[in-house]
Amino acid sequence: MKGAWWRIGWRNLGRNRRRTLITVIGLALGYSAVVVMTGLSRGLVAEMIDNGTGMLTGQLQVFAEDYLPDRGIYDTLGGREGIDVEALVAEVAGDPRVAAASPRVYAGGLVSTGAATAAGVVLGVDPEREIRVSRLLTYIDEGRAPTPGQYEILIGREMANQLDASPGDEVIVVAPGADGSLGNDLFIVSGIFSTSVTELDLGYAVAPIEVVQELVALPPERIHEIAARVDDPWAADAAAAGVRALIGTDGPTADVRPWTEFRPEMVEYANLATSMEWMLIVFVFGMAIWGVANTMLMSSFERRREFAVLLALGGGPALIVRSVLAEALVLGAVALLFGVAVTVPVLAWWHAAPPDMSWVYGGFTMAGGLMRPILRVEWPTSMIFITGGAMFGTALLAALYPAWRSSRVPPADTLAGR
Amino acid sequence: MSARGRIRLRLALRNLRRHKRRSLLSGSAMVLAMALLVFSRTIAEGGHEEWIDSGVRMGDGHVSVQAPEFRTRRTLDYRLSPEARAAVRDALGSEILTERLVATAPRLMIQGLASSSAAALPALIVGIDPEAERVFSALDEKLEEGRWLEPDDRLRAYVGARLASRLKLKEGSRFVLTAQDAAGDITGQMVRVAGTFRSGIPEMDEGYIQIPITTAQEWLGVPGAATSEALLLRNSRDVGPVRRDLEASLADWEGDASVLEWRESMPELDAAVRMDDWADYVFHIMLFVIAATAIVNTILMSVMYRTREFGVLRALGLERGEVGRVVFIEGMILTAISGLFGMALGAAIVWGFFRNGLDFSAIWDMEMEAAGVVIDPVIVPRFHWNQILQSLAFILVIGSLASVYPAWRATRIDVAEAMKFEE
Repeated sequence: MKGAWWRIGWRNLGRNRRRTLITVIGLALGYSAVVVMTGLSRGLVAEMIDNGTGMLTGQLQVFAEDYLPDRGIYDTLGGREGIDVEALVAEVAGDPRVAAASPRVYAGGLVSTGAATAAGVVLGVDPEREIRVSRLLTYIDEGRAPTPGQYEILIGREMANQLDASPGDEVIVVAPGADGSLGNDLFIVSGIFSTSVTELDLGYAVAPIEVVQELVALPPERIHEIAARVDDPWAADAAAAGVRALIGTDGPTADVRPWTEFRPEMVEYANLATSMEWMLIVFVFGMAIWGVANTMLMSSFERRREFAVLLALGGGPALIVRSVLAEALVLGAVALLFGVAVTVPVLAWWHAAPPDMSWVYGGFTMAGGLMRPILRVEWPTSMIFITGGAMFGTALLAALYPAWRSSRVPPADTLAGR
Repeated sequence: MSARGRIRLRLALRNLRRHKRRSLLSGSAMVLAMALLVFSRTIAEGGHEEWIDSGVRMGDGHVSVQAPEFRTRRTLDYRLSPEARAAVRDALGSEILTERLVATAPRLMIQGLASSSAAALPALIVGIDPEAERVFSALDEKLEEGRWLEPDDRLRAYVGARLASRLKLKEGSRFVLTAQDAAGDITGQMVRVAGTFRSGIPEMDEGYIQIPITTAQEWLGVPGAATSEALLLRNSRDVGPVRRDLEASLADWEGDASVLEWRESMPELDAAVRMDDWADYVFHIMLFVIAATAIVNTILMSVMYRTREFGVLRALGLERGEVGRVVFIEGMILTAISGLFGMALGAAIVWGFFRNGLDFSAIWDMEMEAAGVVIDPVIVPRFHWNQILQSLAFILVIGSLASVYPAWRATRIDVAEAMKFEE
């Protein structure tokens, strides 16, 4: 008997194909709209997190316990004695979720060509390891990365403009050292990077770690930070716990922080985007419900004689309610099939080839992460199902009133054509 | 109106009245769509204006005057001389400007190093006129400790809170600013912390310092000069006329002073606003399409099951086209009335409940930064005549969409078939 309801529902939809088609298109459009919009919104969040963490900070950082929030030049890992850098880097990279780890030293200073001076952060890195952790060294658009051990410096595009410097030029870097002295050294500009994040392009310079350590009078065993890359940003919390366990308590007191802790605003934005997804569902299906309600009302109006016959034969109101609801469910199912058939290929294509939007807007930063001018789409896997459920809910909800009305058809009057 | 025209109108009105439930159902979809549209447009508009406003207040104003190359080079070589600044002051007196100008503020900006015994950190050091800045900038409201700069301050600085903490500075602490002066020498200037601020924008809190402009001029050896004159306007829509007027008045100073609007001086904010605009368009188009299908659907249904009624009209002597016109008039009247009602409802809801702002702080309680601007979680909706035009256009398009096709369907009815059909 169960199957019969679906058949009746299906047949009723076939009775007025045009009407069914319009309603199905309306619902499917709503489905596509929600899924594509959430895909876009997740693409936006992924773009922000990828660039916000991947460009410079990495997804995981290890530093001395008292390094934050002030990031003092003295607050190196392991205090004044320092640490065995290689051993600690190996330990951080030991967690299976960590793809690569790299040691860093930070110094604040002035970069000057003599004619012009810029202020910035001089980041000391091991170029070979750094490139596997952050993408900063991949943005070089002129020259090359500094060579380990050499007094070479890589500067941002905006800083280069300000200094009017190009690769091969000499610059003086002045930075206060950890021993209270004022370190200064001559560097050769090895290259220029351009990330489109003004803050980085204007205020950052990169030099080999051992050279920066010498500049600010830090011995080789004293570093400020180990940055690590975790390929799935959402696994960073678990990776941080793993690294904490690996370092253990016997070694130097170190703080392991995932990006979710040092960039909380990005987590906040991701949460905001999720709540927006729900608002979108309510908005879109709130509109779509009218179309379905109307269709069901019309169709049940046309079937009132049939209902009257059923009632006259002794079928209770529940029978009729069930029949109308079955029709709505079949309508929902058809619309879902239709919606999925349209949406999935569109998403797949969009995901594979995100359109370039640079003719409308340029890049900008959000919560510290660069948003490139492309419309990136991520698969909103959960939303594909949740939206489908919401659509069935809409169809059912919209059918409730028509179903109730149908069950109240006065049999005698209706059959008499009054 | 011809006699037949009157009859058609009466028929249409009567049809709407006779089927109250159907009319209400079709109309309510329209009311809901319009109310939603008005609501979402005013919120979007308000959010934007606020975003631009706080962006330009923190930055260089809606419009700013600077030396042509300052934007890329950012050094003192490209500054506004006292004479150029005087010319800008003169230009501000024009009628177009006085009407639209809220405030103007000179700035002398330089990249330098702030150092204390604890550390030395790069910072953007901005010389400001406290009097002018009080109206202009929102930074004085972000005070965390101490006080903001006062007009007779000399060696005082207003420092980002994170920067102050990294330099281990308290209210009253001394520290040294170092930068390259106009002569090319690296010079230091000792100042005391007047107060600290927390803006919510990481770059500012970590590297932004305000000092009195006179102190900056003396320290850097550029008496009377500034790197930019920033203009704050009543509305971001005034940027175009103000810019043209300023450019005309400053024509003699070409090469020394150029006029920039916020879209140029803050390309990031421009990009963010554009992208937000774009997302709004996409969202509204989708809303439109979904609302349109729902409404077209309801009206079409009401035509399709009135076959018999149209058959009778035809039998009574109405021509094919006339039946169509009756349906068209019906559709237009229904969408127009319900559309206008929806607009009024949307406006009433916005004005009645959210006139003081829609508070989003329940879903985001942290300070959100985008394109160098902190987004306020309270959005005050804004009305603009543009929105009314857009809404009217929306009603017209939906109305004709929802009326033309059903009307055409109504003309295709075969009289004999329709009359024969016995339900």
